[in-house]
Amino acid sequence: MSGARSAKTLVERAIGLAVLVVAAIGPVLFSDYWVNTILTQTFLLGIAAASLIFLSAYGGMVSLAQTALYGIAGFAVGNMVTQGETKGLNLGWDPTLSLVLAIALTTALGLLFGLVASRSAGIYFLMITLTFAVIGNYFFGQVTLVSGFSGISGIDRYTPGFVGDVVAHPNRLYYVALIVALAVYGLIRYVRRAPFGLALQGVRDEPVRMSSLGYNVALHRTLAFGFGAFIASLAGVLYVWWNGQVDPQTIGLQATIDLLVVAVIGGLGRIEGAWLGAFAFILINNYVRGVELPVVGGSFNTIIGLIFLAVVVLSPGGLMGLWERVAQGRLGGRGGGSPRVAADPAGPAPGIGSR
Amino acid sequence: MSAEPILRLRGVGRRFGGLHAVRAVDLDVAPGERRAILGPNGAGKTTLFNVIAGDLPPSSGHVELFGGDVTLLPARRRATLGLARTYQQSRLFLGLSVEDNIYLAIRGVSGGRLRPVILPGDRELRRRARQAAGRAAIDGKLPELVGSLSHGEHRQVALAMALATEPTVLMLDEPASGLSRGERQLLTELLLALDPAITLLLIEHDMDIALAVAERVTMMHDGRVIVEGTPAEIRANELVHELYLGSRYTDE
Repeated sequence: MSGARSAKTLVERAIGLAVLVVAAIGPVLFSDYWVNTILTQTFLLGIAAASLIFLSAYGGMVSLAQTALYGIAGFAVGNMVTQGETKGLNLGWDPTLSLVLAIALTTALGLLFGLVASRSAGIYFLMITLTFAVIGNYFFGQVTLVSGFSGISGIDRYTPGFVGDVVAHPNRLYYVALIVALAVYGLIRYVRRAPFGLALQGVRDEPVRMSSLGYNVALHRTLAFGFGAFIASLAGVLYVWWNGQVDPQTIGLQATIDLLVVAVIGGLGRIEGAWLGAFAFILINNYVRGVELPVVGGSFNTIIGLIFLAVVVLSPGGLMGLWERVAQGRLGGRGGGSPRVAADPAGPAPGIGSR
Repeated sequence: MSAEPILRLRGVGRRFGGLHAVRAVDLDVAPGERRAILGPNGAGKTTLFNVIAGDLPPSSGHVELFGGDVTLLPARRRATLGLARTYQQSRLFLGLSVEDNIYLAIRGVSGGRLRPVILPGDRELRRRARQAAGRAAIDGKLPELVGSLSHGEHRQVALAMALATEPTVLMLDEPASGLSRGERQLLTELLLALDPAITLLLIEHDMDIALAVAERVTMMHDGRVIVEGTPAEIRANELVHELYLGSRYTDE
């Protein structure tokens, strides 16, 4: 049994290493379009999805606020770095300082959101975080001082030195996004095994038991939400450098649902699913747009909706769940495990409504 | 009972709407005492446990632990004072390994609960977790996910978690339920070998275990304490036979 488990781990490590090597020499292997549009976007969208999957897989909290938090970081950077040619505050601050301040601000707001949301669970938690998403969208749409309907543009002209001119040297942003994505992945895997992360998984499984063991469950959830906001803020900053502009549509209801779709397609139970889901979503977004299906037509939303439906019905653990099943069949599974746990060693994948 | 009680309840009541689950319970438990709480289903034993542990606030009355009033103290603070409990439904962390479950129990009373980094000192806690697993005879399953274990093994993990925190007051809610005869024998031996300094409160339907382990027995019925005495007195009490032992044996 332990042999089977290590065979699966070996295969996973080999795949991981191959992906890493391909990503490291990506600009040599792929066209500019692939590097700049598909892959860079996959890295940053994956980071945003990772913040959602972290909360879901280890905290049992499915959050719809991650897009809003990501947007807050983006708007914050936009307001701080621009110098008078766009909407917003046009503060003209140093890009590196702005980057740090935007992350700090988003994390602080995440802690505040978490304080409000952490006492509820399941569908109520989902609804409260949806409220945060809607508030974020309207706030930036209505408050013309910091954005207004048309948003902030030209942000990519004010990037820190290590990113440089993203139009002339897009490969640098590619590598920055790759390194941040790897750091986020490593950080989440590490925190999961540290006392905070283990206790968070305890809170996910049995909050009442955790409080009778001496843990402050609400505080734990709040801090986890703050950590999720921190990760989302990294994606938000990368996004505005990559896209050059941010507007209320960036964090609208459509974008909020898109991020949830990315996370569910990838798999809410394992952190790797974030980038897998992002890659699948972006590929579909780029290559299925021209396809015309009989009856339903060629709407992107229809097609992604059908794929979403297929994933939810056929593999509730998403693409990562599918891999777990394949690995179990080919490499031998854990004997005697309950199906719920055996299908998902990183922890049970809670359904959207189940927690 | 000359020593100052480590646990004192005065007039404790708990209502759920119109249902009085616990009514005006007075209870004194001395340090190091082995106390069994008996009574038919619905007598209010588990509700009383929940009030003592802080999972439920009492509707009336006071709870004193370790010489201080803890009526308003949350469950997590009572845990760090040295109170440990198990639950009727084991309430374990099914997505974590046996070792991680016990480790979390020790971590809960050791501080560093929010620390996001792994420190060398964590190894000592893991060593204690494995040791506690050994005491509950579950050390053969340390890396297994708790969700994949049997009911009896869940009981062992729950017991290991409670013992691992080295509590001053240990509350066990039906630790023998669902266990085989052999496992019950092991449990009895383990409870009899418990450190004499630990105060034990035990809810148990298995009279052989309860009366073998307990020094004093509190009999509850319909939310009230109806009799309190030594195991011998309880065995001889007619009311107890009528309410509990009699009905239990005629049921079977």
